[in-house]
Amino acid sequence: MTAYAIEGKRRRVWRLSRGGNWRTILFCYVALAPVLAIFAYARVYPIVWSVVLSFYDWNLIRARKPFIGLANYYRLFEDPNFLVALKNTAIYSISTVVLSTLLALPLAVFLARKSRLSVFYQTVYFLPVITPLVPMAIAWKWIYDYNYGILNYALSLFGISPIAWLTDPNIALWALIIMSVWKVLGYNLVLFMVGIRNIPAVYMEAANLDGASAWQRFRFVTFPLLKPILLYVLVTATINAFNVFTQVYVMTLGSQAAPGHAVRVLVFDIYQNAFQYFKMGYASAEAVTLTLIVLGFTLIQFRFARSQEV
Amino acid sequence: MRTSLGMRILVLCVHAVLLVGALFMVLPMLWMLATSFKPPTEIAVWPPQLLPQAPTLDNYTGMFVVAPFGRFFLNSLGVSSVATLSVAVTSVLAGAVFAKYRFPGRTFLFMLIIATAIVPSESYMVPLYIQLIPIGWINTYQGFILPYLIMSFGIFLLRQHVSSAVPTELLEAARVDGASEWWILGRVITPLSGPALSAIGIFAFIQAWGAFIWPLLVVNNQLYFNMEVGLTAFQFKFSADYGKLMAGSVISVLPMLVVFLLLRRRIVDSMALTGLKG
Amino acid sequence: MGIGKSSSQKLNRRTVLKMAASAGLVGVGGLGYGRRAKAASDVTLDIWTGFPEVQPFYQAVAADYAKTHPNVKFTFFTTSLRETEQKLSASVPTGTGPDIFDIGTNISYNFIDNNLIEPNPPAIDKYLKSGAWNKFVVEFCTVNGKTYGLPIWEGSKASMFYNKAMFKDAGIANPPATFEELVAAAQKLVKTDSSGKMTRSGISLRLSGQGSGVTEKFRYMLEGAGGSVVERTASGKYHNNFDNDKGRGALQFYVDAVQKYKIDDPKVQHDADAFASGATAMLFREAWVIGEVQQKNPSLDYATAPIPKWTSSSPNRMLLQPWPIYVNGKSNNKDAAWEFVQYVTNQENSLRLTTMTGWVSERQDVDWKPLLDKVPQFGVFVSPPKDMDYYVEPILGPWDEIQTKMADRLVKAYVDPSLNGNPTKVADTIHEMAVEADNLLKDANLYGTT
Repeated sequence: MTAYAIEGKRRRVWRLSRGGNWRTILFCYVALAPVLAIFAYARVYPIVWSVVLSFYDWNLIRARKPFIGLANYYRLFEDPNFLVALKNTAIYSISTVVLSTLLALPLAVFLARKSRLSVFYQTVYFLPVITPLVPMAIAWKWIYDYNYGILNYALSLFGISPIAWLTDPNIALWALIIMSVWKVLGYNLVLFMVGIRNIPAVYMEAANLDGASAWQRFRFVTFPLLKPILLYVLVTATINAFNVFTQVYVMTLGSQAAPGHAVRVLVFDIYQNAFQYFKMGYASAEAVTLTLIVLGFTLIQFRFARSQEV
Repeated sequence: MRTSLGMRILVLCVHAVLLVGALFMVLPMLWMLATSFKPPTEIAVWPPQLLPQAPTLDNYTGMFVVAPFGRFFLNSLGVSSVATLSVAVTSVLAGAVFAKYRFPGRTFLFMLIIATAIVPSESYMVPLYIQLIPIGWINTYQGFILPYLIMSFGIFLLRQHVSSAVPTELLEAARVDGASEWWILGRVITPLSGPALSAIGIFAFIQAWGAFIWPLLVVNNQLYFNMEVGLTAFQFKFSADYGKLMAGSVISVLPMLVVFLLLRRRIVDSMALTGLKG
Repeated sequence: MGIGKSSSQKLNRRTVLKMAASAGLVGVGGLGYGRRAKAASDVTLDIWTGFPEVQPFYQAVAADYAKTHPNVKFTFFTTSLRETEQKLSASVPTGTGPDIFDIGTNISYNFIDNNLIEPNPPAIDKYLKSGAWNKFVVEFCTVNGKTYGLPIWEGSKASMFYNKAMFKDAGIANPPATFEELVAAAQKLVKTDSSGKMTRSGISLRLSGQGSGVTEKFRYMLEGAGGSVVERTASGKYHNNFDNDKGRGALQFYVDAVQKYKIDDPKVQHDADAFASGATAMLFREAWVIGEVQQKNPSLDYATAPIPKWTSSSPNRMLLQPWPIYVNGKSNNKDAAWEFVQYVTNQENSLRLTTMTGWVSERQDVDWKPLLDKVPQFGVFVSPPKDMDYYVEPILGPWDEIQTKMADRLVKAYVDPSLNGNPTKVADTIHEMAVEADNLLKDANLYGTT
C-alpha cells in the first residue's frame, strides 16, 4: 500500500470509529442510492403491485377487478394442483440443494489448484451451466430412454433391469433431480472455488507443518473458513431450486416426456394460472405464498449460520 | 508428501469417477454440436445416433437466411456486456457497504434485496411491463436491459466475500492514513474482491445472455432480438428445425464459454490475498 | 504486498471491459435511433403471429401487396405460440399491440369480451359469408350474432396417416374404416423384439405429455362415439357430456389399446417423428406431419384417410379448429389493416399458404389441383368427403383448464393396471373427471342442465 502522508488534521480522529459517524452513514446511503433506486423501480415496485393483485380477481385483459380479500389464498390451499406442486417442489429443492452442495464441495477442494488437468475438469464440469435448455432436454430424454438410453444400458451391464426413468410417475421427479444436480454442480463448484482461494496459504502451511492429514486440513481449516460461501451456496441454491421452471417444463414436452402431474412445480403452476388460465390474482397469491415459504427457509439458514459463528 | 499405494489407488479411482462424470457433463453439448451438422433426414432417427453420417454446414449457413442472427448475436453481446459491468459495479458497491459498515436499516435493506430474488420473476413481469409504457421504454434496449442491471445474488456474494476476505484492519489503516471511504472502496476493497467479482461476472453474463421471457414480452422489433429469442424462429407449433436450432445454440454458447475461461483464471489462479504480511 | 500488482491488473481488465461495454452501448444506442422519416401517407402495418413457419408466407404476401399498395409498409414479429399469446395478452389491452395478429379463440374470446377486437366491418362480414368458408367455420367466428376476424387456416381436421408399405407387408389391403378394423389392423402391425419390448406400435396414440393436447386426441374417440366434453343447453349453460357410455367407451378403448391389445406403449417413440422414422404404422394427426415427413424421410410410402368411424353405423367426424386472423381494435390503421387481411385470405394466397407452410387454408372454394398433383396426401385435409360431420370446440373461458385437468387424469388412467378389464373402475374414473369439469364450469358461472 502506498504511503499516505499523515496530515495530522483533527478530522482524522472521527474516521477511526467504524460506525455511528454521520459522515460514514451518509456515505453508505449515497453509495447505495443508485443500486437501491434500480431495485426499487425494477423489482420492489412491480412486486408490491403483484402482491396487491393477489387480493383481487383479475384476468389480465378484463378491465373489471373485484376485490376479494384473502379468497385467492383460501382457494390455494384447497387446490390439488397447488398442493401437488408444493410437495414436488419441496422434495425437488431439498434433494437438489443437498446433493449438489455435497458433491460440489469435495469437487472444489480437489480441483481448486493450478494444473492443466484442473482447468479441463473445471471447464467440463461447468459446461452444463451454459448448456441451452432445448439441447439439454433432448439429450437427457435420450439418456433416460427406457429402450435406448445410456443409463439403462449401463445398468444392464450390471445385470439390473431397465428403469422407466422419465415415464414412471414415481421415478420421474428423481430423474429430474439428477438432471438438475447435473446442471447446477458447476455453478456451486465455481462458488466454492472462490471460497477456497480465499483461504490464506499461511493457514494451510501451518496445518501441514503441524502434520495434519488431508481430512484434518479440510475439517479444521478449509471448512470453517468456507462457511460464508457455504451459506451463500445453500441460500442461493434453495432459492433457485424453489423457482425452477423451464428446465423441468421442457422435459414434459412432446413424446417420451415426463408425465405432467408427477413433475408439476410451483412456478409452472403460477405460470399456467397467470398466462394459460388468465387468473392473474390467483397466480399472484401463489407467488406470494411461494415467496413466504422460501423466505422462511432463507431466514432459518441465516439464523443457523449466525449461531455457528464463533 | 509421501504417497502410499493406497493413496495412489484412491487418486486413480477419483480420477476414474471424475472422467465418467465428465462424460455426463459434456454429453448434451456433444449431442448439440453433432446435431448442428446433421441434415434433416438424420434428425428423427430413433435411437438417436450421435455422429452425423453426412455432415453438412447447411444449418449454419441456412440460419442467417431465416433471420438476421448476426444482429441477434451482437445484441446479445452488447446487452450482456453492459449488464455484466453494471452488476459488477453495483454488487461491489452494495456488497462492500453491507459487509463493512453499520447504518440504520442495514439488515432490513439487505433482506429486502435477498427477498426480491426469491419472488419468481414470472409473477411481476407484467406489472413491470405496464410500468414501462408511460415512460416509452417498451420495445427499446433500455426496457430490455433494465431487469438485468442488478443482481441480488451478486450483492449477497460480494457481502459474504468482503466480510471474510477483507480485514477491517486494512480499512482502518487506510482511514488513519487519510483515505476517503470512496478511495477505500475503489482501491482497497475492489481489488481484493477479484475472485468474487469474476464469479459474479460469469453469472451475470450468463443470466443476461440467456434472457428470454422478459425480452420476448418487451421487444416487438426483430432488430432488438437477442440470440435466445431469435432461436424461437426454429420452434414451430408441433415440431422444430432441430438442425438450425442446434447450430444457433452452438454459436450462442461460445461467448459464455469464452467469458468463463477468461474469468476462471481470476478465480482460481489469484493468490490467496490477506493484505497482511504473512 | 500483492495489492499494487493486482490492482493494476484489475484496472487493465476493467478498462478493457469498460471500453467494450461503452462500444456496445454506443453501437446499440446508435442503432436504436436510426429511423428514416416517414412520408405523410405511409402506413405501417405491424403483423404478429405465433407460428414462425408462417412468417415467410406473410412476408411474401406483403411483398406482393406492396406492389399495388406502395404506401403500405410492414413489420413482422413471430415467436413460439405460447410466448405470442402471453405477449398479446399483455400488449393488446395496454395499447402497445400490433395492427394485425392471428390467434386462437382462447385469447381472442377474452379480447372480444372486453371490446379489444371490434366486430367485422360490413364488407368483411359479407366476405366471410360469401360461401368461401363453410357454415361451421362462419358460425365459429360468430359471437352474439356478430362476426369477428377471418379464418385464415385450419388448426386441426386431424385425419389418419398410415404407412402403406407396412400395410402391404402385413397383408392389409385397405386402411381401416371403423375402430374395430383399426384395432385388428394394429394388432397385425405391432412389432416386438425377442425380449418382448415393443419396437413398432400399431398406432401411435397420445398417451403422455402435458396439456390439453392429450384431451384433444381423446376426443377423436369420444366425439366419434357420439359424446363430447361439454354440452350446451338451450339457455346457454354447459355441463359435461361424457359421463355416459360414450365417455366410458372412449377411455376403454385407450386402456385396452395399451394394456389388453397392446397396440401402443408409452415407452415407444411417438408422434410425427415416430411415423417418419417407421416406429409406428398409424397416426391421427394434422396436416403438418406431411411437411415433417418431407423433411425427415421423403421416401416414406404413406397415405392419408379420414379417421375411422366409431362403428359402421356412426358418421365420419372431423375436428374443425379454425384459426382466425384479427385486426386490433386499438389499431390506428384499421381500414388499411382490414384491406390487407382480406387480401391475405383470398383464393390465390390460400393455395400459397398451404403450399408454403403445410397449414391447410380454411377456404373451401380453392382449386387444389396444383397442390394435390405434387402431394396427394393433402387430399383428406383440403377436400374432405362431402358427408363429413364436423365438430368444433366450444368458446368458453374455462375450456383450456377443463381440458388440461382432464388430460392430467387421462394420462394416469391409460397406464393404470387397475382399469384393465375393470369397467366399474373405468366408469368411476370417467365420473371423477366429469365432476371436475362440472366444478370448473360452476366456478365460471357457466354450469346448467337446462
